[in-house]
Amino acid sequence: MIYIIDDDEIMSECIEKACKKPARVFSNAIEAMLDITGGELPDLIFLDILLDGPDGFAFLDEMMSYPDTKKVPVVIVSSLDFKNKDLSGYGVVGILNKDEMRPEEISEYVDKYVK
Amino acid sequence: MEEEVDGILVAAHELKAPLAVLRQLAFSFDELSANNEHIRAEMINVSERAIRQVNDLAKVRRLEDGLFEMEPVAVRAVCDEVTEELRHLFLGEKKGLSIHYTNKERLVTANRELLRSVIYNFLINAMHYSDTKFGAELTVKDHYDRVKVIVRDHGPELPWAIWKEMKEGWIDHPTEIAMRPGSSGLGLFIASKFSKYMNASVGAVRHRDGTSFYVELPISKQASLF
Repeated sequence: MIYIIDDDEIMSECIEKACKKPARVFSNAIEAMLDITGGELPDLIFLDILLDGPDGFAFLDEMMSYPDTKKVPVVIVSSLDFKNKDLSGYGVVGILNKDEMRPEEISEYVDKYVK
Repeated sequence: MEEEVDGILVAAHELKAPLAVLRQLAFSFDELSANNEHIRAEMINVSERAIRQVNDLAKVRRLEDGLFEMEPVAVRAVCDEVTEELRHLFLGEKKGLSIHYTNKERLVTANRELLRSVIYNFLINAMHYSDTKFGAELTVKDHYDRVKVIVRDHGPELPWAIWKEMKEGWIDHPTEIAMRPGSSGLGLFIASKFSKYMNASVGAVRHRDGTSFYVELPISKQASLF
């Protein structure tokens, strides 16, 4: 299952459509984290950074604090500029800039990480 | 002052968010008929240009932090990159763009990102003011110990006031005098600010049938590959 965490409903819909596979959408990090710790692990997470409430990095810190969740691949989807930033220590496998990303870039990550 | 800077940057982010959504929405339309495909392309182009302008404005605010490092930059490579990006826009507008490299390949001392924005803004301006008969022209040539990048359009004459201001140095704000019909002068303001940061000179040449805007950059003394 793919998880999309973004407080912009329309952006989430666009990402979901580009995934072409079932996805669950969360508008904040707390809901997503509660779901992850209480159930099955997602195959891939698309994560916005500037969220209402705890931000994307708070979510990543939480993910890194459990041995099973730290292995879940995360793709950052943000308008912030993370060019040349190495976030692999947070389990981040990719960074997409909302200003420039194209749907096929999203589906490439899905093809790579979701069975 | 600190709060004011943060406020502008936050506002820039807020402005970009709906533009990014609009752009993604255009991508997410199901297949459109050939007649309507241009609508998708136009939505993407318009939102990308607006996003770029907001990003440039945010960069103007960040100039005072001195975060943009100067480095040897291959000026032709930057021109190639920008013209390639804008090629489809010129085609969509049915306007021509000719490129003339009259010097050897040069490295100039600049910040690549800022130089890219300067040339981009000059070319967008030229596209707007050129007609379908006479396209825009991009020329790169040596000028003493500097490299001059010139963008020529065939639009209305540049008002005397703005020409005078450019002769004297820089456009300090996007005011009415920086405007030609249908323009806010914002692109020129951004180009002027970025050029000043890079110790480059900007200027304009008035023609009877248009204007040439140029930026002059110092040739890099650190390295010369050619």
